[in-house]
Amino acid sequence: MNSPVIEILAPRYEIAWYPWAVQYFFLVALAYCSVWLALPGLLFGRNGRWAATARYALLAAMTTAICAPIALLADLHQPLRFWHFYAHFTSTSWMSIGSLLLPPFVFAVIGLAWLVWREPMLAWRERQDWTGRIARIATLGGWQTPHFAVRILAVVAAILSLSIMVYTGSEIAVVEGRPLWNTIWLPPLLLTTGMMGAAGLVLLLNRVAGPWDAGTDRKMLGVITLFGLLTAGVVLMWGMEGLFVEGSSIAAAIDSVRHEPHWRNTAIWGMLAGAVLTLAAGLMLWRAGWSNKPKILGPWILGLVALHMAWMARWVVLMHVQTVQKQTAGYSEYIVGWQSSGWGGVIGIFGLWLAVILIIDIFVPWRAALGGSTGEPRPAPLSPNQGVATHG
Amino acid sequence: MDLVKRMFMGQLARLAAGAAFVPLASVAHAKINEQPPRRGGDPEKRWAMLIDLRRCIGCQACTVSCHLENDAPLGKFRTIVSQYEVEDEATGDLSTFFLPRLCNHCDNPPCVPVCPVQATYQQHDGIVVVDSDRCVGCGYCVQACPYDARFINEHTQTADKCTFCTHRLEAGLSPACVESCVGGARIIGDILDPDSTISKMMDEHYSDLKVLQPEKGTHPHVFYLGMDDRFIDRPEALASVWDVRGEDFSEMGYEFSGH
Ligand code: SF4
Ligand code: SF4
Repeated sequence: MNSPVIEILAPRYEIAWYPWAVQYFFLVALAYCSVWLALPGLLFGRNGRWAATARYALLAAMTTAICAPIALLADLHQPLRFWHFYAHFTSTSWMSIGSLLLPPFVFAVIGLAWLVWREPMLAWRERQDWTGRIARIATLGGWQTPHFAVRILAVVAAILSLSIMVYTGSEIAVVEGRPLWNTIWLPPLLLTTGMMGAAGLVLLLNRVAGPWDAGTDRKMLGVITLFGLLTAGVVLMWGMEGLFVEGSSIAAAIDSVRHEPHWRNTAIWGMLAGAVLTLAAGLMLWRAGWSNKPKILGPWILGLVALHMAWMARWVVLMHVQTVQKQTAGYSEYIVGWQSSGWGGVIGIFGLWLAVILIIDIFVPWRAALGGSTGEPRPAPLSPNQGVATHG
Repeated sequence: MDLVKRMFMGQLARLAAGAAFVPLASVAHAKINEQPPRRGGDPEKRWAMLIDLRRCIGCQACTVSCHLENDAPLGKFRTIVSQYEVEDEATGDLSTFFLPRLCNHCDNPPCVPVCPVQATYQQHDGIVVVDSDRCVGCGYCVQACPYDARFINEHTQTADKCTFCTHRLEAGLSPACVESCVGGARIIGDILDPDSTISKMMDEHYSDLKVLQPEKGTHPHVFYLGMDDRFIDRPEALASVWDVRGEDFSEMGYEFSGH
């Protein structure tokens, strides 16, 4: 760059939001989007066409909803002061509003998962081992889960998830100091990429956690294709506003990061990944009509790519932008180290997430929920044959 | 791009955005992100600073004295003087430009409404302060300030920035930077008092006063006299220090890194 001005001395500060923030925005988007993927199955009940999808989506929603607030807490420099949020509520701050919205959402999702999972768990109450002991405590009695309660809570969780979507998007979009954030297109972008990520996660769970369900693969490929196209639309509109609308923040945004090779490369990578993903999902969907067998190199790979893309979108939007100095020239380079505020935190949160999934997998017969049968074989007292025998 | 096309595309973009997000946008433009009421401080006063750039020699005396007075961590500054080497494109002559930076104690400070716990607040006298006992270190204010006037203090793990040395003002003293300024470039005072030096100077030089990034609508209350327009917004400049790197791309010669 040739410039008649050289900045000899200016302060360089570290970024204020660490990769924890990316983890939070990633996980919470997966959480609220997974709730929507689970919604049809939860509303229209067991054995419906969406039941299998709902089983995976509920696992996705529950685990991400638990881990997201932990990442959020870790991004505070004073995490033990989190109670200040509730002692000093501030209606002018999206972050403060979010602190009120998040707990109801998380508890609604946990409550929903509990209601749905306690049904198959009832069968485990008779077990003599640890899983039985946990099942006896967790089910809180042997009553049957009323289905209307599941439906009501599912709708409540979906409504609350909307509030999370609005607050997380607005929280970033209102920051006028950062042109790249300060656009109405950012919340939709977080939503569409979040949906792709959530569908990807369901694809992945469908394959690695099993039992594999062809219908879920097809539906999720459809979701990825649809929201891939919508994402492209959002990016296009965002670019158009930058080109054609006088005084839009986009021109400034692009200008502010144009000369930053890291940002450019990751942004291009993210967009390429998104484009390839959408195309591949569309193609697979189109071909799925001919094949109904699980493939080794099947849609789950696209699931991984979708998760990667959703994560990258947040990384590009949240992290690199922070290295742009707002008032002085140049960039403060952020080297992501291995400490807890760097990759350590990223890996830690993913590790925690995996651990939560595994723990649930050990103690909860979630595969048998919503009419699923291919989980643990049902213990004797509830199987029809046995029932007849005792009766006789 | 001809006007009609531009207007059409602009409308299209707005329309599409609007259709989906009218409710969202109207929520965002309600009370959210507006200034909460001011607290504390003397409502009879409005502190402001005038920096006469013609008198600044870029000696960093203010930087050092502020650092000592306010005990900022190494490498973090509540005020600092940005130094530029400026080349005259016509003649190739070189000159220098010094720009002292600090919190602008904006009248519409974007850092205040975002604070989720009201740890950052504005006093009635216009000074924006941080209650470090209440701050949760969320960094939202650091993101919101368009001037990079804030940082997270790694000792306190809370947000930190210039306070116009309120503790000194209350004791009837000038801020450390004003006190130590070799050229007498920094003038602080109450702009509601017509007899204060700053009020008189602002009257005298009214048309020549400039603030940083006025288009942001923040109404900064640090006024610059003798300002070069190229530095009002983020300057197009080569950041030389950051290009000094070793073979392994690690920075060389930045004495504060790693502390
Ligand atoms: S300069 Fe920044 S920190 Fe200071 S009042 Fe304005 S927005 Fe807040
Ligand atoms: S870092 Fe502290 S002062 Fe800044 S917004 Fe967060 S809580 Fe408020």
